[in-house]
Amino acid sequence: MTKETLFKDAFDSIVDCEEEKAMQVLKDAEEMGIDPVELLTDGFSAGIKHLGDLFGRGEVFLPELIFSTEVMKLVTTEIESKLDMSQIKNKGVMVIGTVAGDVHDIGKGIVASLVKTNGIEVHDLGREVPAEVFVEKAKEFNADFVGSSALLTTTMTEQKRIEELLVKEGIRDKVKTLVGGAPVTKRWAEKIGADAYCEDASDTVNFILGWIGER
Amino acid sequence: MTDSKKYFTRMGDGSIVYMTEEEIRADILAGVKDAADRGKIPPLTQDEMDHIYSIVTMPGGVVGVEPSRAIVTSNDSGSDKISTKCGIPVERSVNAMIHERVLGADSVDIGLEDYNYKTVKGVAKREAAVLKNALNKTTMPLFYGAMPNLGFYTKPDGPVDNWAVLLPEGKIKEALAAQEEAVEHAVKDIVYVAEQMYDVGADGFQLDTSGAAGDADFLVSLLATEIIKEKFPDMGVEIGMAGEFVLGMHGRLKYRDVKLAGLYPHQQVKLVEQAGASIFGAVVNTNCNMTFPWNIARVCTFLKACSEVATIPVHANVGMGVCGIPMCENLPSEIVSRADRCLIEICNLDGL
Amino acid sequence: MRMQISQKMRIKEAKQYVADKLGLTLEEICDVVTMSEVREDRGFGLGNFEPYAESNVGMEAKFKIAEALGIKINSVERFKERAGIK
Repeated sequence: MTKETLFKDAFDSIVDCEEEKAMQVLKDAEEMGIDPVELLTDGFSAGIKHLGDLFGRGEVFLPELIFSTEVMKLVTTEIESKLDMSQIKNKGVMVIGTVAGDVHDIGKGIVASLVKTNGIEVHDLGREVPAEVFVEKAKEFNADFVGSSALLTTTMTEQKRIEELLVKEGIRDKVKTLVGGAPVTKRWAEKIGADAYCEDASDTVNFILGWIGER
Repeated sequence: MTDSKKYFTRMGDGSIVYMTEEEIRADILAGVKDAADRGKIPPLTQDEMDHIYSIVTMPGGVVGVEPSRAIVTSNDSGSDKISTKCGIPVERSVNAMIHERVLGADSVDIGLEDYNYKTVKGVAKREAAVLKNALNKTTMPLFYGAMPNLGFYTKPDGPVDNWAVLLPEGKIKEALAAQEEAVEHAVKDIVYVAEQMYDVGADGFQLDTSGAAGDADFLVSLLATEIIKEKFPDMGVEIGMAGEFVLGMHGRLKYRDVKLAGLYPHQQVKLVEQAGASIFGAVVNTNCNMTFPWNIARVCTFLKACSEVATIPVHANVGMGVCGIPMCENLPSEIVSRADRCLIEICNLDGL
Repeated sequence: MRMQISQKMRIKEAKQYVADKLGLTLEEICDVVTMSEVREDRGFGLGNFEPYAESNVGMEAKFKIAEALGIKINSVERFKERAGIK
């Protein structure tokens, strides 16, 4: 077995949601003396990223995505147990919610799931969440990312309040803000000063992973 | 020959952008490829792409089709537009008359401002009285319309556990069961409302934004339509979609042995036909970060494939943020009219 | 629109059906001037004309449309039931 085929197996074990295969890959990697962090990043995590893309095209469904997350969790735990933890970068913490006055949480749930599958610690605040709670929880969990969803033109304004409150509380520079939801656009994000407008769940992951890469 | 002249067009979020012929043609090609790739459908022909280019760059604020190509309009949340959206306090039968006699609409729906069947159920007979009054005053066909909106059946607003919460927690079995339970509640509510509307003479029944909460939501519309058409064959049903593909929130639900999750418009319409619906309201999402040429070429690729296989009328949803229309509150007529013309001339649609 | 809702006809077939039933050409049924006269003469209702005593609108126009197109219109049928004329 070559390094390439091993990485391909790691990728496939996540995409196909095969726990046994994933564990076998880890065992083989150890015997071959392959860097587990490299395997995690370029093999398993690449699989999750691909799965996210397939989800965005309607080729993979949310429950399957969650099953793969479970495999990913096992893989990460296994690798962490064999490593000096300082080798693995803490990917980040996100608080996410649907803004006050808005009960639409389907899309937000999908985003939370997909971000979680990529190894980010996600705190889902639920729906009808006031701006104050977003800020309070961002402080409590020492969040790196604050994601808010609004499905109505009448509730989008709450995203602006989140920006204002983050500034007021002096933590705006410590977090990256992401906004999404049906009526939300890049123009809106720029207008209120959010760091990113996310078209869909994959977009959210791409922004977050991009920022993590820049660290 | 490609020149450096730049043409005015817009991004999917409505922002103005100027593009050269080369850039527009490249975006049209990319949009077509994206749809063909995702939907596994044939791409548009070179002639069709050239035609889109000519419509995108055509001079004039508003463009239109030849009178003989004119098609009809149906509507979703139509009765909401003047009162709730524009803030003009008009009674709903008056709103219907304004649509008929001032706006030149071919049909409109009467609906509650809290536009979902779960809420309507509680006031269904009152709603039916409003529709009856409107039907006596208008000549054009009237629908009753609302959304199945399965999300409203979740706690704390409804009886079942919230799968949007359960799924991220990894509680898959519970999340699937909750969706299946919600389907039963929703079908029952919709059929009850349909009975009231049929009784006062509704021409049609609109199941708008079907699939908004995923595959279970689409299943609700199909199952409800089947029952409604069996009980009331004289009343038409329009199933309008929420997005370009059916979101797999459950992933395993089937209708007549076809898995619903992941279906694109050309596949959705076949199930809508089997359920007995009269009109299919197709949706393709507008991508805010891409240009109008990219978006409309993509939309035409999806909807041409849909229209070609359909045996029932297909109406494109050309509202804010769908089918090439930018995601903004006040829609630019030069883009809307270009989108409409492309849809009619390339996709041979039956209505908007 | 009525032919789409009640008979599931696609636009071309629906236009041809209406044209045949009314004894008009396809060009004529898409022409606002021709159709205004036809609608007035046959009592189909004149959507955006100033109403006068004899003009049909609403339910009475729908009675005429159902008859001319050879279709059943649900509101007309329910109206007949309630009015005891069916």
